[in-house]
Amino acid sequence: MSERVRRLIGWGVAVLAVGVIVVGLLPEQAVADPDVREQHLAQRIACPWCHGQSLAESDSAVAQDLVVILREKIDEDWTDDQIYDFFASSYGDHVLLDPPLTGWGIALWSLPALALVSGGWIIWSRQQVTR
Amino acid sequence: MIATIGLLGILLATVSSAQLIGRAWSASRSADANPASVARPVTMMLAGAVIALLALEAGILSHDFSLQYVAANSSSTTPFIFLLAGAWAALEGSIVLWGVILAVFTYLVARTVKTGDRLGLTALAVIGVVSLFWFGLMATVSNPFRVCTELVGGSCAASSWLPFVSAVAPAEGVGANPLLQNHILMAIHPPMLYVGYVGFTAPFAFAVAAMIRGDQGSVWLERTHRWSVIAWAFLGFGILLGAWWSYEVLGWGGYWAWDPVENAAFLPWLAATAFIHSAVVQRRRGMLQAWNLVLVIATFSLTILGTFLTRSGTVISVHSFTQSGVGPALLAFLVVVVLGSLGLFGWRAHLFSSAPRLDSLASREGVFLLNNLILTVFALAILLGTLYPIALEALGNARVSVGTPYFNRVTIPVAFLLLLAMGIGPVTPYRYARPRVVWDRIAAPLVAGLVAGAVAVLSGMESIPVVVIIVLGTFVIATIVKEYLKQVGKVDGSRAAAAGRVLRRDPGYWGGQIAHIGVAFLAVGIAASSGMASRDQVRIAVGDSAVVDDYCIVYEAATSRLEPNRRVDGALLSLRNADCSDEIASLEPVFNQYARPPAVATPAVHTGLSEDVFVALATLPGDDVVLDVMVFPLMWTLWLGGLVSVAGGMWAVFAKRARRKTAVLPVTESADV
Repeated sequence: MSERVRRLIGWGVAVLAVGVIVVGLLPEQAVADPDVREQHLAQRIACPWCHGQSLAESDSAVAQDLVVILREKIDEDWTDDQIYDFFASSYGDHVLLDPPLTGWGIALWSLPALALVSGGWIIWSRQQVTR
Repeated sequence: MIATIGLLGILLATVSSAQLIGRAWSASRSADANPASVARPVTMMLAGAVIALLALEAGILSHDFSLQYVAANSSSTTPFIFLLAGAWAALEGSIVLWGVILAVFTYLVARTVKTGDRLGLTALAVIGVVSLFWFGLMATVSNPFRVCTELVGGSCAASSWLPFVSAVAPAEGVGANPLLQNHILMAIHPPMLYVGYVGFTAPFAFAVAAMIRGDQGSVWLERTHRWSVIAWAFLGFGILLGAWWSYEVLGWGGYWAWDPVENAAFLPWLAATAFIHSAVVQRRRGMLQAWNLVLVIATFSLTILGTFLTRSGTVISVHSFTQSGVGPALLAFLVVVVLGSLGLFGWRAHLFSSAPRLDSLASREGVFLLNNLILTVFALAILLGTLYPIALEALGNARVSVGTPYFNRVTIPVAFLLLLAMGIGPVTPYRYARPRVVWDRIAAPLVAGLVAGAVAVLSGMESIPVVVIIVLGTFVIATIVKEYLKQVGKVDGSRAAAAGRVLRRDPGYWGGQIAHIGVAFLAVGIAASSGMASRDQVRIAVGDSAVVDDYCIVYEAATSRLEPNRRVDGALLSLRNADCSDEIASLEPVFNQYARPPAVATPAVHTGLSEDVFVALATLPGDDVVLDVMVFPLMWTLWLGGLVSVAGGMWAVFAKRARRKTAVLPVTESADV
């Protein structure tokens, strides 16, 4: 088999595989199923008295009650942010496992990004200009 | 008696550490730099540490409850293996084990120091400082040989540091911590982790010694390279065992919770991973001298930070079983290490910064640099996430949490980048890589990765991150296999002999590639088991069944038995296929109740090629039982991957390098063409 043919087959297989992956994964992501939302939010909100376990992980009665409340809010069409704010104001900021982007939270989220950019710049600038 | 012997051992080791500092330092400055004078303190330190550990074991095995540590951590019904492990099951004892490992490492380092080796002698003095801290800790705030002097209601109310005061003994000990006596893994996990933690002392000490002496070049790096890889492998193995224990024993249905203490072990591992890679660049190309010093300081400091977080009770977690004066001492030591070594670095850095520049980013060095950047940022993000709640609380703010969602958000993109770099890096030539050359080496593996992704999608996987990880993981493995087969093809002789010969020709390179294959499997396991897990809770009456996912679970009977150290209540279950006809496995998740709380729910796990079925009790089994049933796809790839990557590290260090034969390419990294 000539090099050219092999290359063509390679590209063909690659394109086909990418097609399968894209087509296979696209439709799944559009679903805003209430069960999926409940699962996602339950992972992002901590049970207030369970040593930092999320509502999804904790077996405690409190956590189960809070999941019921969470589900009510979802069924009443609250947005994720509204639900998040509701839990934070009712039980304190520490129930948010995903620290919000305010105050010190800005530093938490932006410092790694800043380090990535500045580190990347340093590496880039170390390249020799000759060549 | 036992307490006196033990304490004398600790004091011997403490004095010897101090002596080691003085003798090693003055030998390093003397005219002939003769190491003969350090042999005694090094041996005595080891002897003292071993005596302390043996005395502690003797106290535990002989049920000498007049020792406060023994009474608090064992009882006459504790099984033998957990008595043995009891010596490191709590704070004071674990520091004794730490000291023994440190003394063994010191002894091994001392054996490599020959006459005229000023760097080695200075490094021994630095190790002396570190050991003085640890043995000093044992002799003061963390003394494992405190004896009980007053009993109130059968338990010890007051204790003394003096081992020869008239001691009183409670009739029975409290027993081992249930979490720790529930599974054999808890006897092995801490020693492995400690070998990892302590192992970084040698690279750190040589780095500090090189800075103190102003020894440029890579001697310190060459001499400690093996230590770093060994420590890295053990640390990884320790973390893996911890994760496995969490999965097999704790019954919450996971193996990793981004718990601050887990992060504390993961952080030095990340820094060490970066260090091992950047060390290759310095050894091969003379670059990154200053950066390697920073990384080794960071790695060592992170091990101390990890110990501080684990042992001080600063954070609430499954690991913080203690609170004592050890916390402040560790914090002070951490501050001294960080400020001291960074101060030294700031003072001496100008000596180490004259490295050659990068010819081009498109080169092996370039990919190594990217790898280092990604790993460093990764570690920084996890460090921030770990310390953020502690720092805010210390500043007087309201309590906040940083949990799994934050860490996942950071980890997933980083994992993508790392896997990509891992696929491309090892087949990229040094100095300057022509894109054509690299492309020829990665094109076919990329197609293989995409095909694997397509197969995963066709077989029903729906999670984007999982599919991306499968594509990249397959790409990494395919690149390595392709390169390997190419090398094997070039070797004369039988195929089997050639296959072994290639691996032995450059153990460092191929050990690294084996570790990469392990990491690729690990990544697939982590992604699949977390991204596609399902969790359900079912209530089943005895004799009845419930269908969960594609399985049918029959609750056959409640079981109950008394063992010497615990009461075990279980539910006998039959795991069957969806229509309840064929049995797949018999499972018995249990509750273990020990003399002291908490009760431990041990899950039952059925491991299959495509997925694990994990069943834990949510209630005590009776006429009915509530079960947490979880399904974790491809779980085995996680454990296998972890073991393979540890094996890769071991191969890199211990494999005997094959002798060169004619007709074989020079013994350099295989992809340097």
